[in-house]
Amino acid sequence: MFRIHCPHCREARSEEEFSYAGEAHIPRPVDPSSLSDSEWGEYLHTRTNPRGPHREMWVHTAGCRRYFNVLRDTVSYKILAVYPVGEMPPEQGEA
Amino acid sequence: MSEPPGVVCRECPDRAFVNVRGDVGDPRLRDAVAQVAGVDLPREPGTWNQADRSRAYWLGPDEWLLVVEGDDGLEVEGRLRSALDGHFSVVDVTGTQVHKELSGPDVGKVLQKSSPYDFHPRHFPPGRCAQTVFAKATALVAAREDGAFDIVFRRSYADYFMRWLADAAAEYGYRLD
Amino acid sequence: MGAEVRRRAAGGRIDRDQTLDFVFDGRALRGFAGDTLASALLANGVDVVGRSFKYGRPRGIVGHGAEEPNAIVEVGAGASCVPNLRATQVELYNGLEARSIRASLFQRAAGAFGRLLPAGFYYKTFMSSPGAWMAWERVLRHAAGFGKAPDGADPDTYDRMNHHCDVLVVGAGPAGLSAALEAAGWGARVLLADEQSEFGGSLLAETRALGGDSAAAWLDGALAELDASGNVELLPRSTVSGYYDHNFLTLVERRSDHLGPVAAAGTRERLHRVRAEQVVLATGAIERPLVFANNDLPGVMLASSVSTYVNRYAVAPGKSLLLFTTNDHGYRTALDWHRIGREVVAIVDARESPAGGWVAAAKEAGIDVIVGHAIIEAVGRSRVSGAAIASLQANALAGTPRRLACDLIACSGGWNPTLHLGSQTGVKPRWSDSAGAFLPGDLGGGTVCAGAVAGTPTLRGCLEQGALAGATAASRAGFGSGRTTRSAPEVDEPPETPARSLFLVPHPKRVSRAPKQFVDFQLDVTASDIELAAREGYESVEHVKRYTALGFGTDQGKLGNVNGVAILAEALGKDIAEVGTTMYRPSYTPATFGAIAGRDVGGFFDPERHTPMHEWHTSRGAEWENVGRWKRPRYYPRSGETMQQALNRECLAARDGVAIMDASTLGKIDIQGADSAESLDRIYTTGFRKLGIGRCRYGLMLHEDGTIFDDGVTARLGEDRYLMHTTTGNAEVVFAWLERWRQTEWPELSVYFTSVTDHWATAALVGPKSRTVLAKVCTDIDLTGGAFPFMAVREGHVAGVPARVFRISFSGELSFEVNVPAQHGRAVWDALIDAGAEFDITPYGTEAMHVLRAEKGFIIVGQDTDGSMTPADTGMDWAVRRNKPFGFLGDRSLDLADHLREDRPQLVGLATDDARTVLPEGGQLVDDPECRPPVPIAGHVTSSYYSARLSRPIALGMVKGGAGRMGETVHCPLADGRVVKASIVDPIFYDPKGERQRV
Repeated sequence: MFRIHCPHCREARSEEEFSYAGEAHIPRPVDPSSLSDSEWGEYLHTRTNPRGPHREMWVHTAGCRRYFNVLRDTVSYKILAVYPVGEMPPEQGEA
Repeated sequence: MSEPPGVVCRECPDRAFVNVRGDVGDPRLRDAVAQVAGVDLPREPGTWNQADRSRAYWLGPDEWLLVVEGDDGLEVEGRLRSALDGHFSVVDVTGTQVHKELSGPDVGKVLQKSSPYDFHPRHFPPGRCAQTVFAKATALVAAREDGAFDIVFRRSYADYFMRWLADAAAEYGYRLD
Repeated sequence: MGAEVRRRAAGGRIDRDQTLDFVFDGRALRGFAGDTLASALLANGVDVVGRSFKYGRPRGIVGHGAEEPNAIVEVGAGASCVPNLRATQVELYNGLEARSIRASLFQRAAGAFGRLLPAGFYYKTFMSSPGAWMAWERVLRHAAGFGKAPDGADPDTYDRMNHHCDVLVVGAGPAGLSAALEAAGWGARVLLADEQSEFGGSLLAETRALGGDSAAAWLDGALAELDASGNVELLPRSTVSGYYDHNFLTLVERRSDHLGPVAAAGTRERLHRVRAEQVVLATGAIERPLVFANNDLPGVMLASSVSTYVNRYAVAPGKSLLLFTTNDHGYRTALDWHRIGREVVAIVDARESPAGGWVAAAKEAGIDVIVGHAIIEAVGRSRVSGAAIASLQANALAGTPRRLACDLIACSGGWNPTLHLGSQTGVKPRWSDSAGAFLPGDLGGGTVCAGAVAGTPTLRGCLEQGALAGATAASRAGFGSGRTTRSAPEVDEPPETPARSLFLVPHPKRVSRAPKQFVDFQLDVTASDIELAAREGYESVEHVKRYTALGFGTDQGKLGNVNGVAILAEALGKDIAEVGTTMYRPSYTPATFGAIAGRDVGGFFDPERHTPMHEWHTSRGAEWENVGRWKRPRYYPRSGETMQQALNRECLAARDGVAIMDASTLGKIDIQGADSAESLDRIYTTGFRKLGIGRCRYGLMLHEDGTIFDDGVTARLGEDRYLMHTTTGNAEVVFAWLERWRQTEWPELSVYFTSVTDHWATAALVGPKSRTVLAKVCTDIDLTGGAFPFMAVREGHVAGVPARVFRISFSGELSFEVNVPAQHGRAVWDALIDAGAEFDITPYGTEAMHVLRAEKGFIIVGQDTDGSMTPADTGMDWAVRRNKPFGFLGDRSLDLADHLREDRPQLVGLATDDARTVLPEGGQLVDDPECRPPVPIAGHVTSSYYSARLSRPIALGMVKGGAGRMGETVHCPLADGRVVKASIVDPIFYDPKGERQRV
């Protein structure tokens, strides 16, 4: 059971208040109509699924209902960083 | 006389509830709320302000619940709308909310049974509020100066909530006022 | 042997003034308050407490705590019977009834042919002839397992409680108590949990003095101090069962099991869910048994357990003791036995020249110490009567074995730290040569191990290390400097000689031929089984575990695992460190389902959401349908009516007169801001920019992959304000969806969403007479068709309450959906019912709503769609606008090649040719009913009803290429063998031009 620091409520809350919202940093293509079926399919379905640090989006469903990004190690389950939507994880750059 | 109950639940009727959304950095928003409801919107996450008949609870970085005793939600919404300017949202949600006050020496234990949030006074002193998981639903819980807690939850869950509270508090002695 | 012989006249922590009567396997026995079932059984001379799992061998009590593998009992009877308890952990109460887990006849027979059941027997037998498994499974399943599940609903209640603390201390022995005192002294919020009824751990059986006082006195002082501290919560009888991610732990507290079979009041067990900043693991250690032939005979016990029974419970479980040890510590048991005046036959020490303080004390007491020897075999039938010992040099026997008579063998093979909780977090224990044991791995900065679990051998060391752990944990949680503030009490710690590692005692016969040398008592795993696994090529300890069942019992191998690993390492020619241990999983000891379920049972299992009109529906005898968590009236049967009759009546009222439905459960979202229309255009397939104020429009919401996930009507309330309706079940999903796009992709849009589902009570007034009825209670809205057209919204008052009235229709009839704030919902509903009384206004439920909308060919998302359907598949291209400036979500996917296939399943109407049979929903449709399997499936039925208005069945279905197959015939095979013919027709069965809703 994770303990996640909500950057909006500015305190750590228990996992049951949150929902996982998929991998982070998958921007919606600016002009979908210019993409081929397979390029669009990449956006729809392809995810990195890494072993190790994973950038993912969570939403504080039972709290402030705000989305934010989490850098989480998929091996140790440690949360390495929490950061706002639209930003890169601290000190990881394009990890 | 039997033992005084460990937990007392009291109905808080006759209140207007208005959901307010906007940019807290915008003085027009804060001024309008202060003018209409007489209370300052709290800027600190997880806190609430009280002034006279009005309370303002922080729900999110751009969202508050405004509660005005003895007023009408639609009218408060209308007054706010007239006083506001710019990008905002005000919605009467009086129908949504059920407001109860929980007090008594064992109220903390009932909260512990109901929610994974830490309501210990060290962590949650008077002036704090939190939206969190409560039993299998959600609620807004606020700590008051007198040691009691305000609990605000959705009307459709009222039957479940009241049964849950009565059951959780039964071992400490429970009274519904 | 009688009770008076085994129970000492004085001493121990039992209360001799409180005698307790209990029954074990039908025998009436007596014990004292403070006894466990195990200590009381031993005091009563009960040697055999069960039969072993695989071989049916008689077994006695081995340990005194969670490690006990043999004394597994059922307590209570009927619905409140609890199976799978360790007698060593069952507190005695007056009237307790317990039964041993009896081996089946099958197991007893297996015991007689034990040599024929080596490791992997069932696997080898049944893999070579799988058919045999089918035949034998029932017999074997019946024979396997421990105990019986209770046969009725549990009469007890259970609950959960959440905790947050700075320091959770697990285990209230010398290390844990010291840690709690220190952490509490620094002001940290401390939770101290121990699985036993009394705090103290090993101190409860300690005979030495602490700081010049008795151990009991020191313990009383420590507990009084903790009790007086305002920031410590004490949880006795609480087993920390699981250690999960981010310092989340579960504790099972047994609140009433020591009082009786059913809790008189309150909860029987409470599951504490603890979130700890810091965890101090002070879980102690469990003595390691020694593996020799017939070491499972009743009367072979752990040395520390013998001492515990003697010192804590005043029970001497035998007359003449033979101690077998590999270390100095074990000598204390012989000294305890000697002190109470019983015969110590000898101390058999596997080491050549032990010379520590305990050794000297034993010699001084005149006890015969036989060094360089080992017990190679226990002798006896259902109880130890003697032992064969032999000289042990290096790892081989020398000389001729000789026999010593005794009725109790105490074994000490060293200590296994109780590292299960640390292992549960996924951190592998590591082997320490110096400790001769596995120790917890590196558990990270949130956990501190203290005392015997960390390999600390001495009491004084445990007290000191505990205090330091408490100070460290408090400091890491933000309290204090990390230094200890108190000095540990002085304890007499004589010097000790190093221990000898001895994991398998050799026997004159080789392992496979020797009498059984048990490693895992509970699942009857022997040294020979492990060697066999190694010979057959198993190398991984995890594979050997599964092949032999080593550590697979309910005790998770608390006694046997380390010996098993060492024997495997020897057989493989590897180091123990290289082989490693298996991982431990929650729960540390078995937990009841009741504790896990807590109060979320019965009426609390899933919350029911009620509309403001719920009581009215109840008073009208509504039958209910669960929609998400909502309770919605399904139909309102009148007395004597069948469901179909009620439906027919409700549908005809809506079509011909006036009917009313509670539609409060529909999701409602208030949308405000200058970019409201832009947001809606991006979310919905339809356009909202040009929608007039006061008008409504239907929209389809798609996932990015182009599939439909919600639909509903959105109204424009003002220049920058809209109200969206979602389906009942999707209200929260859609709300989160809107916020997701606003917050993550389109932060530049000026728009706010607010859920108002619960704020509005909605009554849908339906039917040709609905306007007349509404006009009686609504005077400030012009309800005429010209002023208030179809797909419009007006604000005014209904029954004196401010209301929004929508002219929208899910039935195809003239319809007004009256919305008022929920606190007025019931009053307005009552007013509408009163106003409609003269027109026989008829309440209708979800079932009639389904029929009415199906007659109109309106889909229900989630019933007629299944998450793979596009707007085109459902014939709803009309609701899609492809030329918006910003393509809506899912727009691009509508052009994917697969979505353009002609033969995709498409929504059609289905009319049975016999005009009588109502097709089953979910029924499969085929083109050729004579076709032999595999039969190509043409489609399936998604909605199907009898239509009272049309006097025949109607159905909707998805048929491959269905839009191009109008008039063709498909066949629906029924479960009873009949095949129903149906024609593919237009899905709109009634009023195809939609004139009725526009009047």
